[in-house]
Amino acid sequence: MRTLLGGVTLAGLVGGLVMGLGIAPREMTQGNVQRIMYLHVPSVWVAYLAFAVVLVASIVYLVRRAEAADRLAHASAEVGVLFTGLTIATGSIWGKPTWGTWWTWDARLTTVSILFVMYLGYLLLRGMIDDRERGARFAAVLGIVAAFNIPLVHFSVLWWRTLHQPPSLMKPGPTMPGIIVAALLVNFAAFTLLYVYFVSRRTRVLRLEAEAEA
Amino acid sequence: MTADNWSFVFAAYGLAAVVLATYWRFLVRREKELDDASVVRRQMRQESGRPEPQARASGHPSS
Amino acid sequence: MLLFVFQFALGPDRERLAGTLPGLLWLGFILSGLLGLGRTFLVERENDCWEGLLLAPGDKSAIYVGKLVGNILLMLVIETILLVLFGFFFNLDLASALPGLAVVIALGTVAFAAVGTLFAAMTAQVRARELLFPVLLLPVEAPVLLATVKATEAVLLGETLGSVAHWLKLLAAADVVYVAVGVLTFDFVMEG
Repeated sequence: MRTLLGGVTLAGLVGGLVMGLGIAPREMTQGNVQRIMYLHVPSVWVAYLAFAVVLVASIVYLVRRAEAADRLAHASAEVGVLFTGLTIATGSIWGKPTWGTWWTWDARLTTVSILFVMYLGYLLLRGMIDDRERGARFAAVLGIVAAFNIPLVHFSVLWWRTLHQPPSLMKPGPTMPGIIVAALLVNFAAFTLLYVYFVSRRTRVLRLEAEAEA
Repeated sequence: MTADNWSFVFAAYGLAAVVLATYWRFLVRREKELDDASVVRRQMRQESGRPEPQARASGHPSS
Repeated sequence: MLLFVFQFALGPDRERLAGTLPGLLWLGFILSGLLGLGRTFLVERENDCWEGLLLAPGDKSAIYVGKLVGNILLMLVIETILLVLFGFFFNLDLASALPGLAVVIALGTVAFAAVGTLFAAMTAQVRARELLFPVLLLPVEAPVLLATVKATEAVLLGETLGSVAHWLKLLAAADVVYVAVGVLTFDFVMEG
């Protein structure tokens, strides 16, 4: 089952690569640098997905005390931090030739950076509590606080800065040529599959670790 | 026509590939370690006749 | 102490100083807040009353609310002192801005104390608590910091509260969310 998922994920990634680097056309205003978007935007999406899963899993854990929910929250947070970091890095690399600077405090980069530090703190908390059960409980509480904080972060940063491009996929009616949207969607799918693949492997590792300690 | 900056594109894709591949390798290696360890534990238990502990899938003993 | 550091760091350029004052003010609030909030449960820890807290019958959330109110009052006292000192050292006209300032400070303090009290309970028993507590609290409070600084800026410039209504609404929303989550999850934190 996992090898099937792995295979499909790999296929998706290759497809995304082909679409992003090859088939998608050279963008008008930014040139080929715009292709980084096929990495950057799906990464952000996966990060938000991951943190939403952390929220749900955290609530389930507190209500039902299912160890599996705790492991899911842990794994999802870790993968989420991974993709958040990737979002920041790709955003920065995209920004250098586009805006002339490695870093800028625009809305998306700032928001994602705050999320990065928040959930890094989540992982730190887990790492620093030795009691497994208490660690799970506290992490769940933090997971809930962090998730509810996301909209607050989003809006506060947005009102504070308006340099970044407006979110492209959210606007009604396509503002980008169809082939670019298609390439983006393929990468979205590929990254989502990768998320599922990573989380499933990570939860398995966590379960094996728990068994080893028993 | 704006400059193409392919080096940045490759830097970004390359970085993503390295990061994701590294994480994947971490997962695969850790899983193998733990799988091997659990096989060894199972063999030891069979030799001494002790019962196997179950991973707690749901519910939780109160502390 | 903080005031001197800020003054030295930024130099005597009056214009630039005026621009950064709201940020400095809230930095001051936050730094002292971190110190105060971090110690919320220190007394219980040191005097071995922790188990007493855990065993106390009834809704643990009451403990949270009690600690929260205490923290809010503590922070308000500190903030008032800091505000007066700021006004004195940087020659601000606080009288006219006071009602607006009071609103912003009140909203921001509740948001800060609500999460701070919860996190203080969570980190009370962790090794390296002094490090983990600010690391957890500061990113979460980032939107609150943004909102309060922006609103304070406007108030100090003499603008009406209405002009920063969106920031105030954000702060109010944050207050509601943080206190609600705190009340609902405190039981889980205090189980053991």
